[in-house]
Amino acid sequence: MAPVANGRVVVPIEDTATLRATVAHVAAAAADGDVSAIHFVYLASWRDDDPRIDDRRTTAQDLLADAADWARYDLEDADVSENGIEIETALIAEDVYLFGPRQYAERLHTYADEHGIGTVVLDPEYTPVGNTTLLQPMEFELASTPLSVREAPVDRPSRRERLVSEITGPRFATVFGGSLAFYLVLGDPTYPFDLVTGVATALVVAISLSQVSLDHDPTLRESPLRLVRGLIYVPSLLLEILKSNVVVARVILSPSLPIDPTMTRMRVLVGSGLPVTTLANSITLTPGTLTVRARDADLYVHTLIPWAREGLFDGGLERWTRFVFYGREAARLPTPRERDDCAVLQGPDADEPMPFAATDGGPELDTHHESDEDRAPDTAAEAAPTAPGHHEDGDRR
Amino acid sequence: MALGSLDPVTTARVVLILALLAGALFFTFVSMVGVIRLPDVYARAHTASQADTLGAGFGLAAVALTLGWQGASVKTAILLFFIFVTNPTAAHAVARAAFEDGNVPWTEGDERR
Repeated sequence: MAPVANGRVVVPIEDTATLRATVAHVAAAAADGDVSAIHFVYLASWRDDDPRIDDRRTTAQDLLADAADWARYDLEDADVSENGIEIETALIAEDVYLFGPRQYAERLHTYADEHGIGTVVLDPEYTPVGNTTLLQPMEFELASTPLSVREAPVDRPSRRERLVSEITGPRFATVFGGSLAFYLVLGDPTYPFDLVTGVATALVVAISLSQVSLDHDPTLRESPLRLVRGLIYVPSLLLEILKSNVVVARVILSPSLPIDPTMTRMRVLVGSGLPVTTLANSITLTPGTLTVRARDADLYVHTLIPWAREGLFDGGLERWTRFVFYGREAARLPTPRERDDCAVLQGPDADEPMPFAATDGGPELDTHHESDEDRAPDTAAEAAPTAPGHHEDGDRR
Repeated sequence: MALGSLDPVTTARVVLILALLAGALFFTFVSMVGVIRLPDVYARAHTASQADTLGAGFGLAAVALTLGWQGASVKTAILLFFIFVTNPTAAHAVARAAFEDGNVPWTEGDERR
């Protein structure tokens, strides 16, 4: 490894196939005297007040301890006294749900600043969100910080090894089982032809989509619970939809058309990926509120009538989403209004100006999940009307 | 066949089916009126999704009730599920495209567009 800025490096880690090799690489650099301090950090994907996160926290701490142990072992092996080399571990970002690569980069930068670190060493397989390509956008975001970034030059698993590890994983099993069950509901489970074609179809679906449709491995304890809580949520969502439909129908049919549409912004306390998608879609399903834009934890919601706006700021759907994904304890939280997490963006009582990508390409506004937009914030707005499909990536996460 | 000559359970079922159909027609009608009367793309997106959620929802519920307990009703339920997943996604796509294009939402006091 080339000499490192001030000999102090931070290594964000996650349980990957190349973690061991990355640790070995950093330890070797330390043994050569290029590195004097190694900090392993784990960026939490949860918030510390979520219920039942002890397991995930323990797993993260174990992984950090392993990495530190491996580094010490490698140093010992190389006959270097470990005393001269500082090895630290830290579990960070437990106070927020992290959304895009920008937030990951920000957190790393803050940590590096606090500990006088000048270099980030990235495990080439590091993808904290569990999805496919976070590394590149993260390198891009890190490039705008004073930190220098390098990728550990380690052998990555071959396509074949990767495929094998994927098709034995819980994600594959879940997607395969789900698609097979769906196929057999449509067909006839007792007819052998349907069984054979069903298995073939489910295999194709699971091989091509299991890593895309689920962003982390489902667990036997938490995932069925979420499913059951989701089923409890459905009737209450339907009731909510029915109520708002009637209210909105009355407004539309009344001759004076008493609408008062405004754009609003609400910062929601749900994780990225499926939770925030569920919440945004539930808001859109309820007539009177329409999610226009999701920028990290900020949802830009268009509201048609004051009644719908009040309901939105009372955070009923947000509490339900938290109930579905994090459990009953997590649903008890102050409303967005009490947290001061909501704002009206239009009209005489506007709290803050409207954010437009087209008129204002400022970096704080263009915090998209999509890497391609991060690269070209100015063209993103122009591309939207001609290629709407291009912008839909965020919805499926 | 007159309603009176049916047994009470069937009568109740027919009445329920008719009520659901009436609901479906009502909300689809409201949705249509809304699309014509409301001022801009965002407001119209609100009401356009009404036709999908309750219009199609009540309609499919009436279909399921008509078919009774058989495989096809399960498929109706699945159909409903997919409508409820795709409808907000489509509404969001339209609104987001408008927003990205710099389309300022209509507010009280603006000219009608």
